[in-house]
Amino acid sequence: MALSSRIGAHVLPCGRHVEDLWDTMGSAPDAHVQGCPHCRTALASLAALAEATRAVYDDESLTPPPTLTSRIMAAVRADVRRTSRLPLAAGEHGPVDISEQAVAAVLRFAADSVDGVRARRCRLHRLEDGSVRVDLSISVRFSGGTSVATGDVVRDRVRAVATAHVGLEVAGIDVEVEDVWDDET
Amino acid sequence: MTTATADGPGVGPASEPSAGRGLDDGTLVVRARDGDVNAFEVLVQRYQSQMYRLAVRMLGNRGDAEDVVQEVFLAAWRRLPEIREGAALPGWLYRTTTNHCLNVLRARRPRAELDLDLTRSRSPEGEPERAAETAEQVRALTVALQQLTPEQRAAWLLREVHDRSYAEIAGILGVSATAVRGRIARSRVELAEAMQPWR
Repeated sequence: MALSSRIGAHVLPCGRHVEDLWDTMGSAPDAHVQGCPHCRTALASLAALAEATRAVYDDESLTPPPTLTSRIMAAVRADVRRTSRLPLAAGEHGPVDISEQAVAAVLRFAADSVDGVRARRCRLHRLEDGSVRVDLSISVRFSGGTSVATGDVVRDRVRAVATAHVGLEVAGIDVEVEDVWDDET
Repeated sequence: MTTATADGPGVGPASEPSAGRGLDDGTLVVRARDGDVNAFEVLVQRYQSQMYRLAVRMLGNRGDAEDVVQEVFLAAWRRLPEIREGAALPGWLYRTTTNHCLNVLRARRPRAELDLDLTRSRSPEGEPERAAETAEQVRALTVALQQLTPEQRAAWLLREVHDRSYAEIAGILGVSATAVRGRIARSRVELAEAMQPWR
């Protein structure tokens, strides 16, 4: 133990540094090391450490309890309860509103349904007349296809869902291609 | 699963919920920043095991590690705007987990209980003698790790078990890469000594 308390250099009684031994592991030991009991003992310890390290590295059995994800998500959801709300056209029982984030999720899902498109950010802006403008960013699969056409398809799909499924009056939809991906990523 | 979401970097295992399975970190981070809780849940499932393993070996205790991982992911949710790209997420998580663990250790009484079952490792099949020997070495290593200073332990674990670069570890611990190399070299010697004293 006394050796390792010396800062920076761990010198064996034979004069060799333990760090140097570590660096030479994997290659054939030189003549000194082969004949030196100090070096050989230190090497055996380092080899034991290397093997234990590998076992720890490969150990997949140390996993979090299955409840951890739900614990984390409960904390996250508790943090979300401050979402802005979006009024819908008044129904027969008076005005209804719906979480902006819930609508954004539905619209992202609509954009996702277009082949080669992954929705990213979706923002809703309420205009004074009660209608809504949608800002949507997407990433598209790089395939040499025309992104202008893709944007049109996304816009149509999102508008249809926002109008028919959510009941919003949509003033406009801006689609921004923010990123591309290919089958490797 | 379509070919578009095959095994690329940052794309998770098939155990993830179908809603976000196979999406890259970048897309999930942007969605989560936008308030999409389900996208965030996919990221939690993708990275919680790595952070949990780091925390358990830092703290020597599963219950404390669970608390740290929960705090880290809640902090990640709140600070998503700072995490600009999906590629930055793992680094952010490693940094925050390490620092949370160091804070817990600073606040802790010296010598907290070490979970005894952490000293066991799963034995590889076959070669029972060899497996027993490896298990004994892992046990010794687990105990010896707790004898290092927390900063040494963090550096060693991040490098040897979590494959982080010297530069990244230096950034996490707020020291130079040279200091990190020295700290890891010193840790190796101390760990090797504790495993099988050579004097």
